[in-house]
Amino acid sequence: MTEKEQQQIFEEWLSMHKGLIFKIVRAYAFTAMDRDDLFQEITIQVWRSIPSFKHESAVTTWLYRISLNTSIKWTRKEQKYNQPETLDNAHHLLQENTIQMDEQLVWLYEEIYKLDEIDRSIFLLLLDGFSYKEMANILGITESNIGVKINRIKKQLITKSKRYDY
Amino acid sequence: MTTEFDEMKKIWDSQNNEPLYAINEKALHDRILSKKRQAHHITNISELLSIIVNIVAGCFILAMNFPKQSGSLFMYILSAWMFVCAMYLLVGRIRRIKGNDQFDRSLRGDLHHAISMASYQVRLSQLMRWNILPIGTLSLLAVLEGGKSVWIAVGILIFFAIAYYVGGWEHSIYKNKKRELEILQKKLANETI
Repeated sequence: MTEKEQQQIFEEWLSMHKGLIFKIVRAYAFTAMDRDDLFQEITIQVWRSIPSFKHESAVTTWLYRISLNTSIKWTRKEQKYNQPETLDNAHHLLQENTIQMDEQLVWLYEEIYKLDEIDRSIFLLLLDGFSYKEMANILGITESNIGVKINRIKKQLITKSKRYDY
Repeated sequence: MTTEFDEMKKIWDSQNNEPLYAINEKALHDRILSKKRQAHHITNISELLSIIVNIVAGCFILAMNFPKQSGSLFMYILSAWMFVCAMYLLVGRIRRIKGNDQFDRSLRGDLHHAISMASYQVRLSQLMRWNILPIGTLSLLAVLEGGKSVWIAVGILIFFAIAYYVGGWEHSIYKNKKRELEILQKKLANETI
């Protein structure tokens, strides 16, 4: 694969599926600087993964896999080297759109952010309509393990939603 | 439980039409290019460096010792030891690179790969640390056999002691990294937590 072809695929994937990456970035990174950092890390991994994409799965599944793997590893690194946000925002990769986010959606993102990194990935996949089988495939664990984890996460979030009463 | 989850899903789906962010395409492109140019992974570098250092040092010791009529036996052993180390590192490197393709692209596969890399780094740093002992001993013996000043021997001893200490520090970094990955792997596999 030539570099030009790789660039072409990358641009196509990014323009078609950027929403997917944004959601994962939003769920894993809290500050603007962190989001920039994570977004950069994900896009680099996506770029690198292009030659090994063999069309055995849908592009969205592939992108989810790369993005979640990167985010989980990034979270571990971030917890260790957590630094306060600086004013060096001159070249932010992501500029927040001025659209006012729905209050309930903000609540949902906050609750997702409170889950641990593995549960967060499972819940994101669930919200985006992935089947247990697809999730098991992406995460490399059994469907029954996925089921157990989902039940626990749902219970946890529903209890919190009752307190929030949206 | 299902109804409430459906509510959450509705809220989640409502965001699909509105992108959360706009991408600064130029900045993204620049960063990808700069990352692409970056040197290979740290393991790659430390591995190559160790191989080169062992070969060069082995050759140097041999070249220094060979022309002398009564060359030190310890120096010959030291030189041979360094070539053996370089060979061992080279074989390890080839096996590591070959093994890179044996992991699937799932999160579990990715973690397995990261743990296998971390284990390799732990093993390598431990071996390199222990390797200081035979190299230091042989160097000391060669110095003493050559009838050099005791201060040179003391200097060599201090140098290898520092190298051993720094090696331990490097080793603990890799060990901690491996432990963190193993915690993550357990968290992924555990059905009860």
